[in-house]
Amino acid sequence: MPEDTMWSNIFKHTQKKERSTLSVLKKVPIFVDLNSRELRAMERILHRRTYNDGEIIFNENEPGAGMYIIESGKVFIKVGKAEKVLAVLSNGDFFGEMALLLESPRTASAVARGPLKMLGFFQPDLFHLMETNPKTGNKILRRLAQMIAERLRQTTLENSELKNQISKYEANSDE
Amino acid sequence: MNKDTSIARFFKLVVLILILAVSGWLLVSISSTITILIIAALIAYILDPVASYFEYRGLSRTQATIVIFLLIAVIVAIFMSFLLPLVVHEIKSIEQNLGSGASSAFFSKMETWITDQIPFITKENLALQEHLKDLVQNLSNSFFSIVGSMVSLITTMVIIPFAVFFLLKDGPHMKKGLISMMPNRYFELVLSLLYKTDQQLGGYLRGQFFDAVIIGLLSTTALWILQVPYFILIGLFAGLANMIPYVGPAAGAITAILVVAFNGGGGQQIAFVAIAFAIVQLLDNVLVQPLVVAKSVDLHPLIIIFAVIIGGQFFGILGMLLAVPVAGMIKVLSRELYSSVKHYSTLQ
Repeated sequence: MPEDTMWSNIFKHTQKKERSTLSVLKKVPIFVDLNSRELRAMERILHRRTYNDGEIIFNENEPGAGMYIIESGKVFIKVGKAEKVLAVLSNGDFFGEMALLLESPRTASAVARGPLKMLGFFQPDLFHLMETNPKTGNKILRRLAQMIAERLRQTTLENSELKNQISKYEANSDE
Repeated sequence: MNKDTSIARFFKLVVLILILAVSGWLLVSISSTITILIIAALIAYILDPVASYFEYRGLSRTQATIVIFLLIAVIVAIFMSFLLPLVVHEIKSIEQNLGSGASSAFFSKMETWITDQIPFITKENLALQEHLKDLVQNLSNSFFSIVGSMVSLITTMVIIPFAVFFLLKDGPHMKKGLISMMPNRYFELVLSLLYKTDQQLGGYLRGQFFDAVIIGLLSTTALWILQVPYFILIGLFAGLANMIPYVGPAAGAITAILVVAFNGGGGQQIAFVAIAFAIVQLLDNVLVQPLVVAKSVDLHPLIIIFAVIIGGQFFGILGMLLAVPVAGMIKVLSRELYSSVKHYSTLQ
């Protein structure tokens, strides 16, 4: 029956879209502890944005409001006046998660490369989630804290390595 | 080339002025509907944290809204069955009492005193009682016509709860929908602007509302203890008037003192009423205000007075009540917009 085909096509399309968004969200480290029900709730909270080629997502030094998750497309992360490309991010990648906790200036610019679809998760949404659904909010916060702690550990290791190298270099030059 | 640009600019300006004029005309012609929508939005905004609390307790947004409405229905039912008959009775008896013996004696005593002091004023010039009667009649008419004259009262009583229900239930979705319409360039800016405004204004508006409720309850209790007639009505008025800075608190006290004087109350009762209002104001300033009203929206006294006057000119008593929150909203929005313009390079 034609009607059935039409409706089934519409539902198939919606379900496919939902599945693809859920599969993207599942891979994002700060959402890995969430169950399917919580992920679907997150999907309702997140802001869906689309960008054209070359469109600026945010500029360096502007106050950041939150993070972005790439559903499809590519993003160039650029830094400085020379717009040196630091990284090229694609499907499933995310960036700007520090702005979820701290409203500090963005350390780099993000520009869309080709047609881009993203999901935005912002500080007000996280704070509201912590008030209305603290269980889910806590799961996200814990992962976020772990991620930042891991980065701090890495930075401390790199820092001490650098210090060692400097002291070695200084000892050699003294000799 | 330059000429073309200036023609294009001029054309754009004309179109902009036309759009503004049409929007202005449209706003004025549907102002009564807009007023209803503003009242509904304010109520929904004040109730939003309650809905969030129920969501936190595990209810869905729809369930939370239904629970809030059931609670409100219970409060309204109690109010209707106990307080409303008393309030209606009080309003009727005020009008009757103004023509009665006790108040006539008071007025003639007052008029004699004034004419003795100021020789060129005659009793006919004064006609205090008649003036006050007119004033009370006008006041009670305007009290009922705040919403009543715009659309019929019953329609308003149905539309406001209906609008509040959906604004409360779908508010977060509506906000998200509104944000999603923003162009990518301004999206993050609008999002953080809305959040910061909500943080500062929400606390202020809810604080004002709870402050009015507390002052209303305290005043009613004090007047009931002092056996002042129409204590519920004066208490309600004192609570509402308290939202209008400077003028409001005095208005409540003056009304109570006048009522005591009209009803033949002695100097001692008047003094007690004045002391009671002074204590209520002291409690308000020392305890209630610092606890419930957020200090984030500090407005200059001059701005407050002008806002109240302008609000009163355009929308009467309702305008005076809404003037300060609206002035606060404009201040917070412009402050946040200014700081955003400084930080967002897209706007420069």
